[in-house]
Amino acid sequence: MTKYGHAFVVGLQSNLVYRWNFGARSLFWLCHLLWVFIFWAAFYAGKAEIGGFTFAQTLTYFVVIFVLQFFVGAFNEDYQISEDIRNGLINQFLLKPINYFAYRLSVFAAARVVSGAFGLMALLLALPFFRGYLELPHDGWRIALGIPAIALTATIQFTIAYCFGLLAFWFLEIQGFVILSMAVETFLGGQVFPLDLLPHGVFNVVRFTPFFYQAYFPAVIITGREGFDFAVQGLAIQAAWAFILVCLSEALWRRGLRHHTAAGG
Amino acid sequence: MSTFSRYLRIWLASARYSLARAMMFRGDLFVWAMVELVWISVNVLMVAVVYSHTRSVAGWNEYEMLLLVGTSMLIQRFLMGFFWSGIFEMGRNVRSGAFDFVLAQPGDPLFMASTRKLELDGLLNSVVAGALVVFAVGRLGFHPGPADLALYACMVACGVVIHYSALVLAMSLSFWITSSQGVEGSYFTLMEFSRLPREALRGISSVIFVWVLPVVIVSNAPARVILHGFQPSWAAGLCAATLFWFFLAVVVFRLGLRRYTSASS
Repeated sequence: MTKYGHAFVVGLQSNLVYRWNFGARSLFWLCHLLWVFIFWAAFYAGKAEIGGFTFAQTLTYFVVIFVLQFFVGAFNEDYQISEDIRNGLINQFLLKPINYFAYRLSVFAAARVVSGAFGLMALLLALPFFRGYLELPHDGWRIALGIPAIALTATIQFTIAYCFGLLAFWFLEIQGFVILSMAVETFLGGQVFPLDLLPHGVFNVVRFTPFFYQAYFPAVIITGREGFDFAVQGLAIQAAWAFILVCLSEALWRRGLRHHTAAGG
Repeated sequence: MSTFSRYLRIWLASARYSLARAMMFRGDLFVWAMVELVWISVNVLMVAVVYSHTRSVAGWNEYEMLLLVGTSMLIQRFLMGFFWSGIFEMGRNVRSGAFDFVLAQPGDPLFMASTRKLELDGLLNSVVAGALVVFAVGRLGFHPGPADLALYACMVACGVVIHYSALVLAMSLSFWITSSQGVEGSYFTLMEFSRLPREALRGISSVIFVWVLPVVIVSNAPARVILHGFQPSWAAGLCAATLFWFFLAVVVFRLGLRRYTSASS
């Protein structure tokens, strides 16, 4: 097993220590799903379609967004990285033949396996209540494009969290930046409402931001809110953002290390 | 010296310390104030986008909904300003043993833990939330009298106590579980329901979120004072819920405190 394989296994074990927290979080995500159901049911009351989509299609969209968040969303990786830097724990990685980005990516993957499992359990619990409202299209191309879109979403989620974590090289406290970014991501990532409800001009601007690809984009491919051409164009933009963010994280790491002082003996 | 004046002096000392600390880290204060402002903006934008597609949600028009959201935000910002940091840190302190510091202080542990820090950013944004309420009331063409405003203020205060109790309950879980990480999210998830009009909830959800958990009446009761004047049933319900939840929070906190084993060497 490679060193990153070991990091993945250790990551799995350390995340399973917090299984009750993941369990509690899953249950509260269920509550959020219920909030979504109640609010959007009131929104759709007396209307067959809004923005060209039915209530069932919109609810399906939110369910997919939630599941994606559990499987590919970065929860507190930025905080962990900033703590490594602030407490000097990062020094041990500088002295060993290990790539910190790859190490953190392994731990991120392990955490998502655990949170994804809990997310699925929450979904299974919710399924008897929501099953009648879930409508997924059956086009094969949606799976073929959806899988790379999800992989790129995970890359974007992780690299944004990684970049924010690295800000600890320059700032003592980064949580403010992280939560500020989270608010923007929540809104522009389509977690508050489907972005296609935005005015057309605004939507076309948001389409070119990385936030659009943090959850919304794979969700609309899977749920059928957008067509093939949009998905192909989006995949190209998403790949470009993933590449830019990986380069940015590498640049921040190099510049941050120049700034870093490893104290202690 | 009476107990009240003794606690008032302790609180004033904590407030003075918090203000001095906030002035030392002005950049941090600015970032956190922005965070709160962006979250308020996200909620307002959601209302704007939703109402660009409909005239009414559960019988509430756009400005009535803004009044509800503003009231909910106002209560939350007061909680953030007065109590959030202290209670939030409680979870970490219980795990690390730093809670000893609170126990060694000259006052009730819950009071000392809750009021250790005053967050200026939350209090600054309560002005923004208040302005949102004033804007909505203005657009609705209402002119509430002094009695209505006093009643609204009392109900907002009750709402703050209920939110406080919910947060204490959530964070008290840290006495039982390894880490409260993620549990604080439960507070935000539940309090999302305070942005729902009462009329949107039906059946079992109405029983749970209106009668069992007071998350809906917390914001609906004050908003209704402005919209419909004094309604005894809503006022009585809110007072009863305030007393019950505060009592429950104190009892659970004290039970948890008995389990605390300290971490002194």
